[in-house]
Amino acid sequence: MSATLADAVWTALGDVMDPEIPAVSITEMGMVLDVAAEDKDVWVTILPTFTGCPAIDVIMHDVEQAVAGVEGVETVRVKLVYDPPWSTERISSEGRTKLQQSGLAPPAAGPVLITDIRLPAVAVCPFCGGRDTANENLFGPTPCRAIYYCRSCRNPFEQFKQV
Amino acid sequence: MREALVSLVTALADDELIIGHRHSEWTGFAPHIEEDVAFSSIAQDEIGHAAAYYSLIAEATGASPDRMALGRQPDDYRHAVLCERPNGDWSYSLVRHWLYDTADDVRLEALQESADAGLAALAVKMRREERYHLLHANAWIKRVAEGPIEGRTRLIDALGKCYPEALALFDSLELEDSIVDNDLLPCSSSELRARFAQRATSELDDFGLPADIHRDLDNSAEFLASSSGDLIASEQEALTTSSRSGIGGRAGKHSDDFKPLWDEMTSTHRLHPDAHW
Repeated sequence: MSATLADAVWTALGDVMDPEIPAVSITEMGMVLDVAAEDKDVWVTILPTFTGCPAIDVIMHDVEQAVAGVEGVETVRVKLVYDPPWSTERISSEGRTKLQQSGLAPPAAGPVLITDIRLPAVAVCPFCGGRDTANENLFGPTPCRAIYYCRSCRNPFEQFKQV
Repeated sequence: MREALVSLVTALADDELIIGHRHSEWTGFAPHIEEDVAFSSIAQDEIGHAAAYYSLIAEATGASPDRMALGRQPDDYRHAVLCERPNGDWSYSLVRHWLYDTADDVRLEALQESADAGLAALAVKMRREERYHLLHANAWIKRVAEGPIEGRTRLIDALGKCYPEALALFDSLELEDSIVDNDLLPCSSSELRARFAQRATSELDDFGLPADIHRDLDNSAEFLASSSGDLIASEQEALTTSSRSGIGGRAGKHSDDFKPLWDEMTSTHRLHPDAHW
């Protein structure tokens, strides 16, 4: 087990961006479950955010490229797993801040109660910080987004859905 | 054991693929732009779930997910007939969406305890996403059910068509005994059907929609006839109903509605079977 190589790989993964949210890296999104390194071989385990996310192939490819570029790495294997299920709780606080700065309201904090089928908690407008917002659509341009409207600054905005 | 897993997961995957395909047909045509977005997104989720299920099969058999999804003959598909029905009008699509996603929640809840760790993990993951489908479907059914009489009437008509076919989502699977004995599905399909029927009828009751007239398959014709209000039309509808009983999907016996969908869905793959997507 080579700790230093694994560290270097983690650092490289910090530069792999989510292609649909280019401001946030996959490590900030909590998508990297594990990095293992032995001699020159590296295994990276990725948690997909949404099962149907079309960006996942691009992410796997970008991870492979990024890790292959790390000095001392000879082979890279990227694996996708669903256990544990990725959850919005995995997004780091830096990740949440960057989501907000890029105009995407971060998901409600905390765990999802799976049997709770009431409408989601109100999202905070990423543009003006207003809380007088209304859910316009539980769905949006990507599987992970919902559409809201801010009554304060009268802008529509998107929120990363809590899962 | 492997054959049993493949049988179970093929049925799950085909349901998601085919209903996802139907939902995607609302893209650009839904009666409201937000619903255009919603149905497109739900379709994307369902087809993504199908892809994940096909990948699980690929791990067991080596069959490529693309080939599973697009490279089979129509009678090799194991989805329930409900999933292949054309979208019809908006009320039909909404009611099918609600029934399907309620049924899917019932079976995903059970599959979380599957003896197959890969399938169990997938069920846990998918259920977190499917929650939004239920939120969406419930909000719409509630809204229309509480609205003017025309909407309610249409919902009730659509329930008469969909409900018996939704029960057929829980028809026995091929190798059912082996699937259940090995705890791949921790309880029988008929047990799941009972759970689904109980939940659906209780929720219909909460929506203020008639629930008691849909209880069993044999009564569906009678219900359709009574909703038409015309005796001659009733008999015709009753006849059509018996021929569209919606049973047999799990054995590969599909309705005439499936062939046109299959033709369109697989056309590119049949032209270029080795193309990369």
